[in-house]
Amino acid sequence: MRCLFIDTSSFFINIAITYNNTIIYHKYTKIERDMSSLIIPIIKEGFDSVSFDIKNLDKIFIVNGPGSFTGVRVGVTVAKTIAWSLNIPLIPISSLEVIASTNSGKKYHVGLIDARRGNVFAGVYDKKLNVIKEDRFINFNELDINDDYELIGEGYKESNPDILKVINKHINDEDINPHVLKPNYLKLTEAEEKLNDKRNN
Amino acid sequence: MTNTYILGIESSCDETSVSIVRNGYDEIATVVLSQMDTHANYGGVVPEIASRMHVESITIVIEECLKKAHMTMDEIDAIAVTYGPGLIGCLLIGTTFASTLSYIYNKPLIPVHHIAGHIYANNIGKQLKFPLIALVVSGGHTELVFMKEDYSFKIIGGTLDDAVGEAYDKVARVLNLPYPGGPLVDKLSYEGIDTYSLPLPLDDNSYNFSFSGIKSAVINTSHNLKQRGEELNKANMACSFQNRVVEILTKKTLRALKEYDVHNLIVAGGVAANSGLRDSLKEMCIKNNIELSIPEIKYCTDNATMIAAAGYYAKKIGKQADIDLKAKANDELN
Repeated sequence: MRCLFIDTSSFFINIAITYNNTIIYHKYTKIERDMSSLIIPIIKEGFDSVSFDIKNLDKIFIVNGPGSFTGVRVGVTVAKTIAWSLNIPLIPISSLEVIASTNSGKKYHVGLIDARRGNVFAGVYDKKLNVIKEDRFINFNELDINDDYELIGEGYKESNPDILKVINKHINDEDINPHVLKPNYLKLTEAEEKLNDKRNN
Repeated sequence: MTNTYILGIESSCDETSVSIVRNGYDEIATVVLSQMDTHANYGGVVPEIASRMHVESITIVIEECLKKAHMTMDEIDAIAVTYGPGLIGCLLIGTTFASTLSYIYNKPLIPVHHIAGHIYANNIGKQLKFPLIALVVSGGHTELVFMKEDYSFKIIGGTLDDAVGEAYDKVARVLNLPYPGGPLVDKLSYEGIDTYSLPLPLDDNSYNFSFSGIKSAVINTSHNLKQRGEELNKANMACSFQNRVVEILTKKTLRALKEYDVHNLIVAGGVAANSGLRDSLKEMCIKNNIELSIPEIKYCTDNATMIAAAGYYAKKIGKQADIDLKAKANDELN
């Protein structure tokens, strides 16, 4: 099984090619800008360095949010275009789950992404990446946590995703039609929020 | 002659479009998905919503286009994409999509300037005749361009502030017309008479345009009437505004044609659909023995057919991008 894993939901680009449960190419690097123009060269570098062509790919795992709106859109556009072109299964994964796959001694792992003004995107997972609390947009102070919880993400325990663990968790997930795959922003645009407020009042 | 099939991609604002054009002028199939109804809820294009919608529809649009053309990606010779100017979050969906296709299918990637696309809307089903002057009028542009030959652009004048389409939309707001208001101002102008004294915008010896002054004059007139308790005659205001705008566009275009000794005029961009402008330019061209080309309405607004057409000529002169193609919100036409 040849898989491509793409995560562009933060300022880091995390791309891996795996073959039968082994990572054979991995790029994890900070990208300050121009994610959209750097992603295909990185994927090409990956396939140039392994022994098979992108056309032999079996499956794509795409981290479709939440996180940087632009970053997520770039990753989703690339993933759905490859999956559509090659007609291969596409599997969406939560960015918060990827963060929560970081190794820690604690019982529960909280994947966190800053969402500004004291808010965060947060998802709580156990060590086996089972969902304990669904991903959501929440004020940081409203997170109901105790010593059993490890906070992971920028400003907390450093995120160090275990890509194979994430892939193995989702290897048998039902795939999604690339036409239907959307970024999971977990948040409406400001314009939509204002329009909803206006309509509700 | 062997045929060259260019796949065009356009996503610079609120239309997601893919098209296949043969040899730069023969349209095989086009799909345009407009987001206009969504943005109408907000009184204008919301960039973040536009980007979101492009991502959701891009693969659907290409699949539909290939189906319509009865073609596969393997039969495509090159991929042309609008890299700018436009809304950056929207453009980069198109460039990312195009770069991915270029990589997977190993096809050349051709970067196309959006305005070059609008100009080449006049090359669909027919071919440009050179030398020519292009009047580019849209929501984001007002430019006079001299072209000696294919894909050679010399900008001889442009707007110093608002684009003409932008001025139309702002005036539409003053007249309480719903979004997108430009076409409604055009329509309404035919129901009125030219009674309001508005200035002829930037009536000088340059080829530049300025529409913020006349826009302010419309706002001030409307405001003053309101203060005096008098009613603004909307149709008359639309007529007065349109007359002035059309007059200056026609006047400066004619001067450019004469100075450059050119007998071909092409009109491009969304405002090329404006009937007042079309009528005025037609009349001017007949009087001065100038051949006028205005695209069909469907090619005036944003579409990928014009991008594929322009892409053919861009490719011919050797324009090619790598898979690290960057979207650019602002970029000079050259």
